[in-house]
Amino acid sequence: MNFLAPLFLAGALAVIGPILFHLIRRTTREVTPFSTLMFLTPSPPRITKRSRLENLWLLLLRCLALVLLALAFGRPFLRETAHSPLPPAGEGRRVVLLIDTSASLRREKLWDDLRAKAEARLRAAKPTDAFTIVAFDLTPRDVLTFEDWNKARPDERTALALQRLGTLKPGSGATHLDAALIHAAELLDQPEQRAPAEIVVLSDLQEGARLDALQGFVWPKNVTVSLDAVVAKQHENAGLAWLPEGDDATPATADTVFRLRVTNSAEAKREQFKLRWPGAPEFDAYVPAGKSRIVRAPKPPPGADRIALTGDDADFDNTAFILPPQTVNTPILFLGTDADEDTHASLYYLRRAFPPTGRQKVEITAHRAVEAVPAFQLQQAQLLVLGDAPSDAALASAAQFVREGKIALVPLADASSAQAAAKLLGVSLPATEAPARDYAMFAQIDFTHPLFAPFADPRFSDFTKIHFWHHRRLDLSGLKDARVLAKFDSGDPALVQLPLGSGSVVLLATTWRPADSQLALSSKFLPLLHALLDQSSRLPAVHAQYFVGDEIALPPGNTPLTIRKPDGAEVAAQPGAKFAQTDLPGIYAVRPGTMRFVVNVAPEESRTSPLGAERFTALGVPLSRDAASTVNAAQHEARAAAVELENRQKLWRWALLACLGVLLLETLIAGSLSRHSPQPVET
Amino acid sequence: MAIRNLELRARTVVEGFWHGLHRSPYHGFSVEFTEYRPYSPGDDPRYLDWKLVARTDRYFIKKFEDETNLRCHLLVDASRSMMFGSRGYTKADYARTLAATLAWFLHHQGDATGLLTFDGAVREYLPARHRPGHLRQLMLALEKPMEGRATDLTAPLRRMTELVRKRGLVVLISDLLAPVAELDAPLALLTAGGHEVIVFQVLDPAELDFDFPTASRFEDLETGRDIFLEPTTARRDYQRRLGEHLDAVKATCQRLGITHVQLSTAQPMELALFDFMKARADRGKIVRRRAAA
Repeated sequence: MNFLAPLFLAGALAVIGPILFHLIRRTTREVTPFSTLMFLTPSPPRITKRSRLENLWLLLLRCLALVLLALAFGRPFLRETAHSPLPPAGEGRRVVLLIDTSASLRREKLWDDLRAKAEARLRAAKPTDAFTIVAFDLTPRDVLTFEDWNKARPDERTALALQRLGTLKPGSGATHLDAALIHAAELLDQPEQRAPAEIVVLSDLQEGARLDALQGFVWPKNVTVSLDAVVAKQHENAGLAWLPEGDDATPATADTVFRLRVTNSAEAKREQFKLRWPGAPEFDAYVPAGKSRIVRAPKPPPGADRIALTGDDADFDNTAFILPPQTVNTPILFLGTDADEDTHASLYYLRRAFPPTGRQKVEITAHRAVEAVPAFQLQQAQLLVLGDAPSDAALASAAQFVREGKIALVPLADASSAQAAAKLLGVSLPATEAPARDYAMFAQIDFTHPLFAPFADPRFSDFTKIHFWHHRRLDLSGLKDARVLAKFDSGDPALVQLPLGSGSVVLLATTWRPADSQLALSSKFLPLLHALLDQSSRLPAVHAQYFVGDEIALPPGNTPLTIRKPDGAEVAAQPGAKFAQTDLPGIYAVRPGTMRFVVNVAPEESRTSPLGAERFTALGVPLSRDAASTVNAAQHEARAAAVELENRQKLWRWALLACLGVLLLETLIAGSLSRHSPQPVET
Repeated sequence: MAIRNLELRARTVVEGFWHGLHRSPYHGFSVEFTEYRPYSPGDDPRYLDWKLVARTDRYFIKKFEDETNLRCHLLVDASRSMMFGSRGYTKADYARTLAATLAWFLHHQGDATGLLTFDGAVREYLPARHRPGHLRQLMLALEKPMEGRATDLTAPLRRMTELVRKRGLVVLISDLLAPVAELDAPLALLTAGGHEVIVFQVLDPAELDFDFPTASRFEDLETGRDIFLEPTTARRDYQRRLGEHLDAVKATCQRLGITHVQLSTAQPMELALFDFMKARADRGKIVRRRAAA
């Protein structure tokens, strides 16, 4: 015999009651009101010294009635008759198992626990159920789709799902739970399907998980979300992150200090941590619980590329890879006769527009000779600026430079210098000196062009403070390809882009010399020249540090590239493409060339404190009722079958009937006894 | 508790605790002007200074100091367990006086004060206001006889988060004699709503010491259930379990960032007010430190 609610059998212990009542003669009648009995357990009342039980039959009947009542409440059923299968369940559930494979799952045995939970759910799947498995860290990935599930034979589905599950392992990415939930909801959002749909999130539900995108997300009807968290026994975790200097910092020197941010979890009891470069002595970092501190690391030993933290429970985020900033050389070629220190000439201001930074070094080479520019100079240069009166040979070099895909900037010092530009472009370009007025201003600016795009914000789009004393009037009527990027307020073109080969020539109808304009003094001058240099060189923006999963723009060129990953694997890639296989933290090297980049674990992954279910409720996630508890689906199934059996057998009715019979008998006997016992005399 | 009038009692306690006003961190739109700020697209054009536009053709927004400094809601537990008292007055009397004291103190400091009394559901609700007569209404609401039933924080606190949208200070005065698992979710709901929460757990000395002299049947005030008890034998077990419960409540509060103050009804009220001031001051320090960081 089995019981559906075996706990009720403990009610049979109530037989102690009648036995005691038969023994007790008198207890106290005094009542003390008290706020709560939560913390109190009854102490047995003192019993009289009477060892002989009276009315034994009556006592036995009362005990039997209690036992039968407990039996009925225990809801008994007989397992032997459980042959009949479950009635058809109708259309089964559609379940998306969202498996977290982020870096924080590498703690303790969390991944094993998570897999065990997933396997239990898959094994408990009914034949009518449909499962899909989606793994996620930064992005969701379909491991097993509904089509795969439906195509497989019903008896092979679980095995297939378990086999796919076996291929998963935690990586180093951050937890973008919002993207995963939205992806899962979209998989289940099929209006024609009326079966209940469930998203089961199997994750460590850490505080650093991203949930922002769920704000305002409209959940499809019928979809519920169950949170099934694996919990770490030790919550203490300290994270280490490198804080590189900004791109505009001064160039790195041998004395450059590396700044590190150490964060400590709110539950932590330890506040003292050790940091060390490989092969160097340790140094201390003190971080109170729930806080973060910036630590300045001492000078690293030569060749050290990582720093490690010790003193907490989880190791996955304890190493920060570090590379000293790499300076990119982007030379500019100036063709003209300007003297270096001539404050009235263009070159003087051009040299001062590119101070060296930690990421970029711009060397300006002035070519004053009449001969053609040497080929190596031409090849290295990333931007060309044409000064006054260039020789024909220099112009030919410039034309070759532009045809190869670069940009030449031609400020027009006078009407005659337009002829040099015309010669460079191989077109006719009539130009006259514009009539003298007070001053001219930029009026119509094409903010959609990449050159002016940084100024599109209304806060920066005011160019009216730059006054131009003199400018040239260009006649562009014969040039269909000319794109006017800016016009003067008189309507004359001010900045014109003309294509040549695969590059282009940018004509400025004035110059930045003090005699011509205030352009060199304005705050727009530097951003404009830098935008021009970026456009011409087309070098990808290089960051000091990337995080796992980031895409990295590879440098342009003609030779195929090979990227060596931290684990030694080599990946071929095309120049100018995006490299997305940054799945491991460490140093990546690009060959040929000297480009190296550093990839670290995202700092938010270090925030491993558990996330409360109320965060999901606040974001409107439709949590299922058992969301907070970890439900074992297999047990659920067994229980459903037992309920079904018990419902059909209804043995509790017989027990209750027997109990009533016994009580009737007890009443009769008690009645007869009280009739025959002597009546107390009332006084 | 010797003074019968609640307002007078509150006033007597507050004497000597006048620490000056705190400034509001929010900017509202009342009479007290604070500063000008240039208009940027997206600002509400209602607050543009049109006269300035007419004079100078420049767009500026006028900012004002909020009318009230702080919105404080006092949540007073009126369940039956609060009717227990061993010193001539009950925990409910003590809680009412504490609520009245805080209300009087905050009102005279220029803050908006609201009240919510509850047992299993919300009994009385007065929204946070600062206007003449509001304090009187609040005192009347507090003086109404409390005839609550079992303590259940879930429903009242959920209702409270629905009623009170603007973030503020929430002071919960209760004995918190309910399973910790039932307290966790409603308290988390309050902190998730962005409120700063202070919990005053009011307990009678007899509840802490359990020093009843004779054996008797102890009746639960909330459920009416009674059990026979020998206090001398039950005391150790009771104190251990109460201690565990109090530790669990404290741990829950600490985890949720709630200031928890345990009060014995034998303690003078001034100490409670001092604890309140200290909690506010500490919180202020944290906020300032965060802002500086």
